[in-house]
Amino acid sequence: MTALAERGRIDGAVARKPARSQLIGERWPTWGSVFIGYFVLAIIYFPILWLMILSISAEPLTGFPGDWTLRWYDDMLYGTGQREGEAYAVAGRVMEPLLLSLKIAAITAALCIVASLVVGPILPRVRFRGPMLLGFLMPLMVPGIVASVSLFLFYRLGLHLKMGEWSLGLAHFIWAFPFALLAMLVVSSRFDERLLDAAADLGASRWERFWQIQVPILKPGIFAAGFFGFLLSFNELPFSIFMRAGDITLPIYLWIQSGAHNSSVPLIFALSTLITIASIVLTFIAIRVAFGEPRAAKLKAKKA
Amino acid sequence: MNVAANSEGASSVDRGAASSGDGQILEVVNAIHRFGDVTALDNVSIAARRGEFLTLLGESGSGKTTLLRIVAGLERPTSIGRITIDGADATFLPANKRNTTTVFQHYALFPHMSVGENIEYGLRVRRISKEERKKRAEQALELMRLSGLYDRRVHQLSGGQKQRVALARALVTEPAILLLDEPLGALDEKLRIDMQVELKELHERLGLTFIYVTHSQEEALTMSDRIILMRRGRIVQEGPPAEIFDRPATRFVAEFMNVENLIEGSIRGVDRDQVTIECAGQVMTGPWTGRSRPEVGAKACLVIRAERLKLGAPPTSSSEPVNHVPCRTGATIYKGKYLDQMLECPAGPIKARIWDRAMPVEQIIGFWWRAADSAVTSLDAE
Repeated sequence: MTALAERGRIDGAVARKPARSQLIGERWPTWGSVFIGYFVLAIIYFPILWLMILSISAEPLTGFPGDWTLRWYDDMLYGTGQREGEAYAVAGRVMEPLLLSLKIAAITAALCIVASLVVGPILPRVRFRGPMLLGFLMPLMVPGIVASVSLFLFYRLGLHLKMGEWSLGLAHFIWAFPFALLAMLVVSSRFDERLLDAAADLGASRWERFWQIQVPILKPGIFAAGFFGFLLSFNELPFSIFMRAGDITLPIYLWIQSGAHNSSVPLIFALSTLITIASIVLTFIAIRVAFGEPRAAKLKAKKA
Repeated sequence: MNVAANSEGASSVDRGAASSGDGQILEVVNAIHRFGDVTALDNVSIAARRGEFLTLLGESGSGKTTLLRIVAGLERPTSIGRITIDGADATFLPANKRNTTTVFQHYALFPHMSVGENIEYGLRVRRISKEERKKRAEQALELMRLSGLYDRRVHQLSGGQKQRVALARALVTEPAILLLDEPLGALDEKLRIDMQVELKELHERLGLTFIYVTHSQEEALTMSDRIILMRRGRIVQEGPPAEIFDRPATRFVAEFMNVENLIEGSIRGVDRDQVTIECAGQVMTGPWTGRSRPEVGAKACLVIRAERLKLGAPPTSSSEPVNHVPCRTGATIYKGKYLDQMLECPAGPIKARIWDRAMPVEQIIGFWWRAADSAVTSLDAE
């Protein structure tokens, strides 16, 4: 009897709720939001998917998929096939930008890690942290083309320095550092300084405190900083255009090739597909390494 | 100023040398510490005997934690005469070279290490072998009744367990002095009382010197061999718990030790250590516990605990001196185990504690107490 009354009350409460949300018309906007959400996702991913599909099509330049083939991958990697000489030449030309981009990206990543590890832990604790942070993040707000032109004018025309790999690395670092710093701050602003006191109190030297306490706890931030540094540099185009001395990075190479109407364009589809897949794999590995360990340890502790 | 500090320093050097034979394990001489314009420590000197349970008691901002951090080496004092730890000069030694360890208020356990790794950390930085480390960590866990938690992650522990791990971590390096910075502050009341007993037992079992910082007079009274009561960066009074409790030197000490009734008046007579003071025409006597020698005409404060007051008229046969004050009955506050009876007398409202509830409160026209149960203290210098 009372149980029934109880149920009645609960049902009543449940029943009233949808009535009210219908009144203010909540149902339609939900569907609208879902539709817009999927639409945005489609805009983002469809071109990439399209590119991937065309990369295994026989005639990608026609824009229609079909006649599936791995010929372009084959051509790109081994330079064999019907148009042997030409394809091999392209493959040779693509290796150089790829290696250069990997090299610059690795340097940028290293610089980002070191700089964000130096700045990140102290920035939340200095007196003018607000203006300081704003200063560090300013490059995010300056349009890339403006920043790159000003860098070029300053170093090339102002200081009369010769551009080269150093200037590419520097420009990429300037571009990537704000992201790396933000990633580090997510972790470092929550770092408990008292842990360093505790370590010192137990006999740890400055060096031991850094390597055994600070670095392991900031590890996710360090990985994120390096990861952002690497990917942002690897993909960077506007700074590279101004800050190079004839060096061709991978994005520059792709940009030049995709604009040119010659027979090596089909290889771009295959190359971009491979880069995309490599980026995704790298991202997953980075996330696992940075954030995966505590979970694994938790599982281990649970088993024990 | 400088010269005075130096001569004082020199005299305490002699004292230190003389007393190190008696097992003095810690000496801090003339510690001054400022944070900007705020003086956290105003020329404080303390000493601790080997094996002593010394408590630094005071409200927040009294400088007690700053003093502890200076002993640990975690804070560099603005100016210091000397710090001696276990017979060796430690004045300019960094924290990691001092033979002290600290149990922090919020535990400060390393979140990226297991319980075992946390406890072993002090041994790890001392380059002790893995097997030896593990053995000693297991022993420390056993001592803290945490056996079997070696592989546990820190975030899986309860507050009480974290506290015990922090203790084990601090004890495993076998320091000369264990420093405890409000270690029970983050625990709930029941656990806090259990841990008080446990800490006291641990202290007796290990024979180690404990320096314990707390704002709780109850914790200080329960555990300490000696209490140093601090206020605004200075030592107000130091002595065994019973002395601080029964013989407060100033009005502040009495108030801090929860003496309910504080009656300010002026001194009318001094007879050896017995002082008579007058307040609103009422004359009362009590033993002098104040700082300097009492002077007739000076202001003083008579302090008396609620539970030492007796209602009614004093027994005529009493051979010892008593104080008797007339009053009217005020409000009665129910406290469960006892009643707090408010009494209106010329000197102001007075609180008496009644354990026997059969007493008809309407008939109260006066109350009395043994003069020896009260104390006459100095007022506080501002």
